[in-house]
Amino acid sequence: MVMKRLKPLLTALVAMLFAAVAVGTSASADSKPNYIISTDATYAPFDFQDKNNNYVGIDMDILKEVAKRNNFTYTLKPMSFNAAAQMVANGQADGIIAGMMINDARKQVYDVSTPYYQSGVAWITKPNSKIKSLSDLKGKTVALKTGTAAAAYGASLKDKYGFKIKYFNDTDTMYNDVVNGNTAATFEDYPVIQYAIKNGMKLEVRNPKNLGNAGGVGFFVKKGENAQLLQQFNTTLAAMKKDGTYDKIINKYLNSKQSTFVGSASDNNTTWGILKSNKNAFFKGLLETAKLTIAGIILASLWGLLLGIMGISESKFWRGLSTTIIYAFRGLPLMVLAFFIYIGLPGVIGVKIPAFTAGLLTLILNEGAYTGAFVRGGFESVDVGQMEAARSLGLTHRQAIWKVIVPQGLKITVPSFVNQFIITLKDTSILSAIGILELTQTGTLIVARNSQGFRVWAIVAVIYLIVITLLTWLSNWLKKKIA
Amino acid sequence: MSEEKQVKVHVDKVNKSYGDNHVLRDISLDVMDNEVVVMIGPSGSGKSTFLRMLNQLEKPDSGLIEVDGYDISDPKTNINKVRENIGMVFQNFNLFNNYSVIDNITLAPVQLGKMTKAEAEKKAKELLETVGLPDKASAPVSSLSGGQKQRIAIARALAMDPDIMLFDEPTSALDPEVVGDVLDVMKHLAKMGMTMIIVTHEMGFAKQVADRVVFFESGKIQESGTPEQIFTAPKNERLQTFLSKVMQA
Ligand SMILES: Nc1ncnc2c1ncn2[C@@H]1O[C@H](COP(=O)(O)OP(=O)(O)O)[C@@H](O)[C@H]1O
Ligand SMILES: [Mg+2]
Repeated sequence: MVMKRLKPLLTALVAMLFAAVAVGTSASADSKPNYIISTDATYAPFDFQDKNNNYVGIDMDILKEVAKRNNFTYTLKPMSFNAAAQMVANGQADGIIAGMMINDARKQVYDVSTPYYQSGVAWITKPNSKIKSLSDLKGKTVALKTGTAAAAYGASLKDKYGFKIKYFNDTDTMYNDVVNGNTAATFEDYPVIQYAIKNGMKLEVRNPKNLGNAGGVGFFVKKGENAQLLQQFNTTLAAMKKDGTYDKIINKYLNSKQSTFVGSASDNNTTWGILKSNKNAFFKGLLETAKLTIAGIILASLWGLLLGIMGISESKFWRGLSTTIIYAFRGLPLMVLAFFIYIGLPGVIGVKIPAFTAGLLTLILNEGAYTGAFVRGGFESVDVGQMEAARSLGLTHRQAIWKVIVPQGLKITVPSFVNQFIITLKDTSILSAIGILELTQTGTLIVARNSQGFRVWAIVAVIYLIVITLLTWLSNWLKKKIA
Repeated sequence: MSEEKQVKVHVDKVNKSYGDNHVLRDISLDVMDNEVVVMIGPSGSGKSTFLRMLNQLEKPDSGLIEVDGYDISDPKTNINKVRENIGMVFQNFNLFNNYSVIDNITLAPVQLGKMTKAEAEKKAKELLETVGLPDKASAPVSSLSGGQKQRIAIARALAMDPDIMLFDEPTSALDPEVVGDVLDVMKHLAKMGMTMIIVTHEMGFAKQVADRVVFFESGKIQESGTPEQIFTAPKNERLQTFLSKVMQA
């Protein structure tokens, strides 16, 4: 019976979700085919954001040229490498171009283009390191980035030279691990590490004359699908090699001055410069974080309220359902839930879920479960005499709940709500994993370009602190109004 | 009571256990229209459980309970409708903490569609007059003393125009100096002809207003009769012990 009262709430919830889905999918309406291409934009010079926050790199230029010559359009989905690869394997994206190495294991899952780049693997230490040869790595730990050609090459040498491996999800964090001395060395594609060193990364390549052969880098589609796209890629690649376009692209990224992409030294070597030259990116990231946070807070609160009210229902069924939902979604780590919804679920239901919608859904389910738990607790903490008095007057259970228990129970939970709002804001940063370009992902992309981890993360941290302060003020104001 | 008075409450062979604790044993009791029944007895003897069964805050394990002619153990009976005619006053007042005094009183009649908001407020003001708190209408519950709270709780129950009132130790949580205020309101109700079942330890009050006194002990009605019979010539041995203890205190 409580459910009747909540119908408008639920309807609103569902409507907002659909709206979010609609916004996410209403991208192109023209007749050219549109492909969804995933990538990892932290992999300069193959894929990264330039100083104007455009996605550039060898991969991007090749892809753009292939699209142009074959008269198709594409929607780029930048995210962490593993997620990007999964997207294609599950049919969420049509193809991936991410400096991705061709190997036999991948050929089981994907169809792959002819190699568009022969990767040479460098091994890298701090400058003037005591480690002069691979044999010196015995017993030491080596940093590798998951899923890359260089990582596979590095891992293949593990037993021969007796080192240990620590895996990373993004390139810049991995480099800094070596710079900071946590790990002794790393393996990386030569052009990739060259780019970073030119950018000021304090590392040194040990084998510039003697690069390891890791094989080719290719463009991947899901096995058995998008044969035409693959065919067009191969044909155009061959044509580009012939007419010089290919060499031009490679040259542009491997031999040009860094400032072309990164901006001037003054834009990168001071915190103020970074902030100024990236102000649009930071602003957009902040806006996305704010949108996620506000929508997340509102919808998760409504969902939590519903769970809390279900939890004190007269019916065992609703109570059980509430308990089960709270248990399940409080138990799941936020990132697992995000991957499940964004990458796993579409394969089952056959509908692509935009990243923002998936992220919002993740927040609703996870934060809503926590909210549901403390809301139910708040309701249960209202003295039983209140319910008995209401029922003794002839009020129904539902009337007693809404008129007497809910107002008192919610008042008790106001501090928990405030706390949950702040947690929600912080949790949005985890959604960077599925490529939502919020504040944290914005920071990741900027660092991937300019290698200024300390300054960029300091800026991001300060922005978060400011927003959290504002949110706390707002919450406290609300708290006072309710009390 | 030879003339044909209506039976308001009919209880026949009611039993109730909590686990191994057999709290009510074969209780039978009839309460007539306009009658005031006072229930006395030691703590834990089952008085509250019995009272709460009359408006189904507790359910009996067996036996028959009819209130206002409705069999309330029948699941087809709309218990909410029956409760509208049974007012209940609790030891701990149980005023709704989220409402002002007047909203406490008007909530049920308005929610249940018995009155418009305006009618309910008019009635509430009359009731506040009756319980001697005419200037407390807009006061928040938290600002009231215990005695005031209990009188508001009585007004809240009366707002539904009940024809039976149940009182479960209405003065036990009060400071001695305000007990009289609450008892005065109850005496007034008795005089107006309200059917009342009252659990109390106020023996003086019982003597004054009760038509009948019922002695509960170990989940049984051990003895019942007029106040004179119970207080001046108790037959049951346990009643005698109980009274001697209570009178000493
Ligand atoms: N909800 C309950 N669960 C278990 N035992 C109860 C419950 N309510 C009352 N009892 C027990 O039933 C017995 C009678 O209680 P009660 O009716 O409150 O007695 P009285 O009002 O006469 O003091 C006591 O032993 C009490 O502990
Ligand atoms: Mg009692």
